[in-house]
Amino acid sequence: MAILTVNQLSKNYGKIPALQQVSFSVPKGSVFGILGPNGSGKTTLLGIIMDVLKSSGGSFQLFDEVPTENTRQRMGTLLETPNFYHYLSAVQNLKITAAIKQKDEDDIDRVLEIVNLTQRKDSPFSTYSLGMKQRLAIAAALLGNPEVLVLDEPTNGLDPVGIAEIRELIKKLAKEGKTIIMASHMLDEVEKVCTHVAILKYGKLITFGDVNEILVNDDIVEVASSDLERLKNTLINMPGNTHVQTTNETVHVNFAAGTANLEAVNKFCFENGIVLSHLQLKKKSLETKFLELTN
Amino acid sequence: MMHLLKIEWMKIKNYKVFLIIAIFFTIGILLSNYIVYSVFDNMINNSSAAMLLDKFNPYDFKYVWKSVSYTSGYLLILPVLLLIILITNEFTFRTNRQNVIDGWSRKQFINVKMMLALIFAICSTLIVIITGLIFAYRTGTSFSFDGFTHVGFFFLKALSYNLIAVFISVWLKRTGFAVGAYFIYMGAENIIAQLLDFWSLKIKATSSFDPGSMGDYLPMNASDGLLSFPDNPLKSIAKSALPTDYTNIVIALAIFYVVLFYWMGRRQIIRHDL
Repeated sequence: MAILTVNQLSKNYGKIPALQQVSFSVPKGSVFGILGPNGSGKTTLLGIIMDVLKSSGGSFQLFDEVPTENTRQRMGTLLETPNFYHYLSAVQNLKITAAIKQKDEDDIDRVLEIVNLTQRKDSPFSTYSLGMKQRLAIAAALLGNPEVLVLDEPTNGLDPVGIAEIRELIKKLAKEGKTIIMASHMLDEVEKVCTHVAILKYGKLITFGDVNEILVNDDIVEVASSDLERLKNTLINMPGNTHVQTTNETVHVNFAAGTANLEAVNKFCFENGIVLSHLQLKKKSLETKFLELTN
Repeated sequence: MMHLLKIEWMKIKNYKVFLIIAIFFTIGILLSNYIVYSVFDNMINNSSAAMLLDKFNPYDFKYVWKSVSYTSGYLLILPVLLLIILITNEFTFRTNRQNVIDGWSRKQFINVKMMLALIFAICSTLIVIITGLIFAYRTGTSFSFDGFTHVGFFFLKALSYNLIAVFISVWLKRTGFAVGAYFIYMGAENIIAQLLDFWSLKIKATSSFDPGSMGDYLPMNASDGLLSFPDNPLKSIAKSALPTDYTNIVIALAIFYVVLFYWMGRRQIIRHDL
């Protein structure tokens, strides 16, 4: 069963296309990352799915059904900014959320505990720091233990400890079998928690699928010797490598992530009569990969 | 709908602005009527003025519903202000989005605001009825429903003012803009209404056609025009020169405007991005 199926979805703001015929589906139980630079249409996409924005074309389904307001009550959503009544306290605000979602008010204490807001639960929202507001928005999304969570930049405004906590929380929720749809421009965030990923750029879907297939992250060993051609031909025969390529003054040998062993490379070359003048492990950063995909 | 209203009440009940405006409005109605009441009371007790006025007291049960509806009408700007603040707050806090995200439909969101406009109009009318009773009993006259239709007109005025406020709020979204626009519109409509009324006088004087007070055909002035202060017997002599009040046309128009602003407000929320 697909939690979300998006079909040819488009949205224009005047003449500017914010989303162009985007289609993909989110499998049940996945942690689905929607990745893209600022202004790529991530929030627009989620906004249409939550009915706060009107699409210009295309359609979508939630839980394999044409969605209604009742469908949204089964999901916990944090979209763009924490939206609460400024003059009400955390508890008063969450009571409103619970009433709209038709969930039990008894759950409020539990979700406030998860995001560490218990001590400040009776302070007005207007007195909260940015990070606390974000935590409250996450608490609101968790209210009633929904089977699907939609989190748009969930770690916005959080300190490093907060970011780590949310990451752990997402992993824990995923283990419980919940489906999590997460939009982010933070690559390591996506890499660390997501099972699936869709990449958007200028409102176009570039690719989507299993995170390990899309964000393959090879180790690269950079080597050099007096005869680069001979070095390259030798290294092609080295077991474990996935790709060998000559650059200006070095040879790059790719290995699957985490399998590169500099000692083994050095030994292999020496045994084949080559003395290396340069040997360095270069991790191909996710940023490079991302830039490759989006450029 | 009860469930939606319960949620709306959760938003409002702890809001200080709500409490302050509600108190000001209630006190304001009592006070303004008290002032009018005491002015006439003093005149009656003053023998020479009493002769002129033929012991006319607008708070006698015979006139009270007309008087209290007209006098209180000016204070309807307070519930309008409250309604604008409550609705534009949703846009400022972006809770209009959050309500929909959490599981309201856009229709539910706007319906409950329309309901709030209706409830404010009902509450305002109830306050006016109670005020009328208090002052009428003080005059010592016996209870009467004479002219009670004016309380109905007051309700119509409250409702149309409130629905114009809902529309302007969902259309402009910002508190300052919406309040400003409301007052500017109010002023502009009154100026146009005066011009139309003047024109009506001219038409009536120069041709056989009597168009009525055309100023009363505009949205706010339609329900305003239905309310008037009771005429003391001396004043009505001057009336024959004025255009006829086609009350039924004005009532129909006032109801039409209520429906129009209801429809435009709903359309704004249902069809556009939140």
